[in-house]
Amino acid sequence: MAIMLGLFVAVLALVLLNVPIAVSLGVVALIAMLATHGMAALPNLAIVAYNGATSFPLLAIPLFILAGAIMNASGISRRLIAFASAIFGWIRGGLAHVSIGASLFFAEISGSAVADVAALGSILIPGMKAKGYPAPFAAAVMSSSATLAVIIPPSIPMILYAVMAETSVVQLFVAGIVPGLIGGFGLMGMAYVFARRYNLPREEAFAWSRVARTAREALWAFLLPIIILGGIFGGVVTATEGAALAVVAALVVGLLIYRELNISHLRQAVLEGGIQTAVVMLLVATSALLGTYLTEVQAPQALAKAVADLTSNKWVVLALLNVLFLLLGMFLHSAAAIILVVPIVMPLVRSVGIDPVHFGLIVTINLGIGQQTPPVASVLMVASSIAKESVWAVSRVNVWFIAVLVAVLLLVTYVPVVGLGLVEYFYR
Amino acid sequence: MAVTADGGAQDAPVTLALRRFRDQYGKLLEWVVGALMIILFVEVTAGVVFRAVGHSLIWYDEVASILLAWLTYYGSALASVKRAHIGCPELVDALPWGPRRLINIGAQLVVIAFFVTLGWVGATIMPILAGDAMVSLPWVPLNFVHSVIPVSSALIVIAELTYLIDLVVARGPPTPAGGAAALADGRH
Repeated sequence: MAIMLGLFVAVLALVLLNVPIAVSLGVVALIAMLATHGMAALPNLAIVAYNGATSFPLLAIPLFILAGAIMNASGISRRLIAFASAIFGWIRGGLAHVSIGASLFFAEISGSAVADVAALGSILIPGMKAKGYPAPFAAAVMSSSATLAVIIPPSIPMILYAVMAETSVVQLFVAGIVPGLIGGFGLMGMAYVFARRYNLPREEAFAWSRVARTAREALWAFLLPIIILGGIFGGVVTATEGAALAVVAALVVGLLIYRELNISHLRQAVLEGGIQTAVVMLLVATSALLGTYLTEVQAPQALAKAVADLTSNKWVVLALLNVLFLLLGMFLHSAAAIILVVPIVMPLVRSVGIDPVHFGLIVTINLGIGQQTPPVASVLMVASSIAKESVWAVSRVNVWFIAVLVAVLLLVTYVPVVGLGLVEYFYR
Repeated sequence: MAVTADGGAQDAPVTLALRRFRDQYGKLLEWVVGALMIILFVEVTAGVVFRAVGHSLIWYDEVASILLAWLTYYGSALASVKRAHIGCPELVDALPWGPRRLINIGAQLVVIAFFVTLGWVGATIMPILAGDAMVSLPWVPLNFVHSVIPVSSALIVIAELTYLIDLVVARGPPTPAGGAAALADGRH
């Protein structure tokens, strides 16, 4: 245990001194390996660093990022917003509900909350400000609803978790559906409270004709995720293959149907996908170095035993893990937190009888909240910068929306059927 | 020392030269990363299609995994140029320029030391791997596959060195145009 604590402190110290997280992990692992095995450990460094980056299931990550970027460049965001506006625009504070509704739909295409807030927020936040919505409120709504992107499939944190915990990514995807919907409607409820307080306007009146027209235009945006997720859920294709099909589908829609995609968009999407994949995968690779060392000294087992000596009540363990992940989420990116912590706590999770899919859902929602809590809060930062508001001003409003997400987290943690109901029904 | 309109110190000539170098260097790496992404996508798609028609490609899994590793490391070199690696610059950014510069120089040295070590070790295992080949494609030597570690490490070290020199010669906080640190956070 002391070794593990020492390593954690060393990594944290380097990270706080602005060394990239991937390098911090690698450096600490390297020093630990040298201290234990001397120079003989070195050849292993290159082999593990290479092998750590070859995980086949993680291939889904670049492809889902690419599909999302292409679809976004194809004008899908605009059509989704129009459709959400037809459905939710008549409620008081219409644009706020449209933001949340559009995030709900966008979540089925995108696996990343930052992609979601960047794509939708750049249109909706200025739109809300123009209609007199307070800027911090506009940013907070957009920021918190972007969390739905990681809860509703496909989800990049879920793919990472499934690989690290060696569990089913498909079941995890299915588990996210109901909590994602509950979260979306919960956020709308909170937005309504604010809409009354600020006396925000409604958009146009509800009309079936408008719903039908906008739905026709957004049809492809709905059909694609249904086909692709259907293929994955039905076991026809793996998550990775489904991700490749998503790219094919995005290209067809962008180039042939909507015809808004051009070479410069495509180039941007490919490079964005490449860089985002590389920074996550480098973390995976260097954490494999540290993981090799921790496994050697049997640290995860020691942790499981130490906690088991205190309590073997799985609800207490879940509460402790939730607090741990909430704290980590404030300081680490979700990918880093999953890669670092999940392999270490898995023996504990399994030993007290927590379902790994249930735990994966909890970790995903928890770290989705982490993207809203400063100082490290990627989604909040993007929303704040689009709204040209300080993170602090946005956070003062966002804390109410975070409360909704925490309520969803607690619900999912302590009423497992909310997440696992569909999984049990279809897969067990 | 001249001061620009926004109050930042004017960049030294060497800083401007490095920035031009990085632009070109980044463009070169963009070609590599773009090509790897496209090959990866085509390969996985081909794998799905061939499996669907009943002729699974035996090399599909192994090649896809290799492509992912290559994308990881060559993409990391591009991420170094673009300052896109995931980090936590918030604390250091809150410090005054003097200590901030010193800590960032230290952090830069740690990054360079790590990749020099990784690249060096990666190069030394090349002779050990000589003679071995891929399992599904026996005509592809393992040396070639694993070369990604030393080559990309060298590419990363070059990019990181330019930022180190930037920090060493800097006379004041970077101007917004060169404020690459803004990109260091905010992904995912």
